[in-house]
Amino acid sequence: MPMNFWNASRWVELLARWLSPGDRETVLGDLEEAGESGAEALLSIAGLLIRRQLSVWRNWRPWVAAFGLSMPASFLLMGFSVSIAQTYQSAIGSMVSPGLAILLCDIGLLAAWSATGGFALGTISRRTTWISAVFSLLPCAFCLARFRIDSLSRLCLLLFLPPAVAGLCFGLRTSRIRFGASLAVAIVTTALTIPHWNKPGAWLPNWMLSWPAWYLVAIAWRRKVLRSGFDAR
Amino acid sequence: MLGEFEYLIITAAASLGENAYSAAIRDEIVRATGRKCSLGALYTTVDRLKAKGLVKTAMGEATPQRGGRAKRMILVTAEGAGAAEQFYHAVTRLTRNVAWAPRGLRVALCR
Repeated sequence: MPMNFWNASRWVELLARWLSPGDRETVLGDLEEAGESGAEALLSIAGLLIRRQLSVWRNWRPWVAAFGLSMPASFLLMGFSVSIAQTYQSAIGSMVSPGLAILLCDIGLLAAWSATGGFALGTISRRTTWISAVFSLLPCAFCLARFRIDSLSRLCLLLFLPPAVAGLCFGLRTSRIRFGASLAVAIVTTALTIPHWNKPGAWLPNWMLSWPAWYLVAIAWRRKVLRSGFDAR
Repeated sequence: MLGEFEYLIITAAASLGENAYSAAIRDEIVRATGRKCSLGALYTTVDRLKAKGLVKTAMGEATPQRGGRAKRMILVTAEGAGAAEQFYHAVTRLTRNVAWAPRGLRVALCR
């Protein structure tokens, strides 16, 4: 039997999916026990979801994730993706040249910046990941609409997305990263930026896109210190 | 210092004792104040109290009247009881000289 679109209890069930499994169980149970159904239950659950989301934004984390990382990093990584595509065009045909070495360095740097950015995003604010994703995709839509380089495909703007999504998924699945691994990633990422140090204005993307790698080092170090303190007790 | 709604939740949970869970606390508050208590306000305030260490929560049993769904039991901690006591005394002290204070309270506190 087809479900009625206006059936409020169906919407209650749908909205309840946004809650954690434990909360979903108790909230739906409370509504059932209180005899609330239809529009009343829908309002109750929508009110809870709105309050929960608003309470998350009282913390600094979602603000940093959305406005300090997602949005600016998307713009910069798109610019870098286009730069790599152009380097590829100029390097193609000459298999052994300084251009090829720079291209390989840049690909590694793009992957490192995107993956560490995605990982940091998943670690900083899990509960607002979808909002951070929207703030990341808005610049993509803006740039895709205004892309005017005839020799390149629009899709080259999005070269950064696969490693970023992989980093985000990894960050959401496990927020823990070993200190040694995080330090190695941060050092390699910073080392890959060295060829860009003499370019004018390169300090902005270097600083803006490298901080997530060093942020991961900081949280891994903090966890290591806390654990060693716990073990010492 | 607790907020008014935080105090109501802690007091309702303390008076319900082992039977304190979200729906029962909500009923208790509605009965005592005559005001509507939204589920969102209740849950977010319980979250805040939990973060402050004033209450603890645990999953309870499932009952048929809840559609076989578990309860969220709420237990007031010693810190929670202390904070509620502090709030109660502050309100009582503040109320002793006003016209709506019960006569017994006025006499007791003026001694």
